[in-house]
Amino acid sequence: MSPVKFSSGRAVLLLTRCALGGVFLYAAWTKLSQPWALFAMSINAYQLLPEWSVTLLARTLPWAELALGALLIAGWALRMAATIASILLAGFFAVMLRSFLAGNTGIDCGCFGVGEALSGQTLLRDAALGMLSFGLTLAAFRENKNRADAPAAQPAAFAAGEAGETAK
Amino acid sequence: MVGTSMHRILKGGSTALLAVGLSATPAGAQGASTAAAKPAAAQPSKALGSISAPITMEVFSDFQCPSCRELYQNTLRAVIANYVLPGKVYLVHRDMPLAMHPYAREAARYANAAAHVGKFEQVVDVLYATQAAWSASGKIEEAVAAALTPKEMQRVRKLVKSGKVDAAIDKDVSIGQMFQVRSTPTVIITHKGQTTPLPPGGVNYSLLKQYLDHLLRQ
Repeated sequence: MSPVKFSSGRAVLLLTRCALGGVFLYAAWTKLSQPWALFAMSINAYQLLPEWSVTLLARTLPWAELALGALLIAGWALRMAATIASILLAGFFAVMLRSFLAGNTGIDCGCFGVGEALSGQTLLRDAALGMLSFGLTLAAFRENKNRADAPAAQPAAFAAGEAGETAK
Repeated sequence: MVGTSMHRILKGGSTALLAVGLSATPAGAQGASTAAAKPAAAQPSKALGSISAPITMEVFSDFQCPSCRELYQNTLRAVIANYVLPGKVYLVHRDMPLAMHPYAREAARYANAAAHVGKFEQVVDVLYATQAAWSASGKIEEAVAAALTPKEMQRVRKLVKSGKVDAAIDKDVSIGQMFQVRSTPTVIITHKGQTTPLPPGGVNYSLLKQYLDHLLRQ
């Protein structure tokens, strides 16, 4: 077994994974530590969803965030986790931007439990997290491609080496 | 509904938080639950239910704000029937007249004066029911008169003119500033010494019921 190379690229990927995973775990914890109805009220303030889906989302989203956070930190199913995180963050951003542009800034952002008002700052933070997640998704796919290419390249190199020896 | 669902506190034409960093809530944590907070004493005639109820619900409202009317008519009436009357919730009205509403303070004066003659609830009811009319005409007295006897009306008128009721309104406003109330209606729940402001604009009866039932099960 060959030792795993620890490049600066891998270090950045690890840090990004842990940072994003940590944010998702924290977001989940702030919601799960409060009664779900409070988070449901935050979602309801956006006036976008019917009540049954507000309830469903309030009950399931924190658990999904918890699972995503754990997957990102552990690095399991990284491509899937990073893709879902990017889609989720893009969705959050779109919903928040819509309300912000409509002047509905008195409502809670709902990002980390109850009490944080929707503002330009929360939008910027979500955009930054979204970009980080998008970068992580690209890196995860690239790394997977590199890994897939590696075993194919190795036999070819061996073959080339053998051919070279034969030519001598 | 988005954009009109709540009324932000306006100061000099721009959105502004009234005050921040007062003692009852941690600075910058408008919505965070605050341990060991106690609801400020309410004028009893502006509160409904038993003061010893396990949950205290303070509602910061502006009589001219349409979403306050909506909250009162669609949510608070049901809360009164199902939680306040059975002694589970102590409901406290807090005045938060916003500068953007020219008749809000005057309406609050009439409601506070009506509290002195024991007719607060009836006047609140009529103020919300006729909100569109007096918001357009400014004829608050006419609206309030429908809920009072001529004798009561005379007392109420006298109290409003004397300016005595303004102190009660100002007290509520300063309590709102302490809680960093940033829009109306704002609902603040106190249960077992824990104070939690509910997410603005998202409160409806069915979600509030879930929350109150959760607290009562604890």
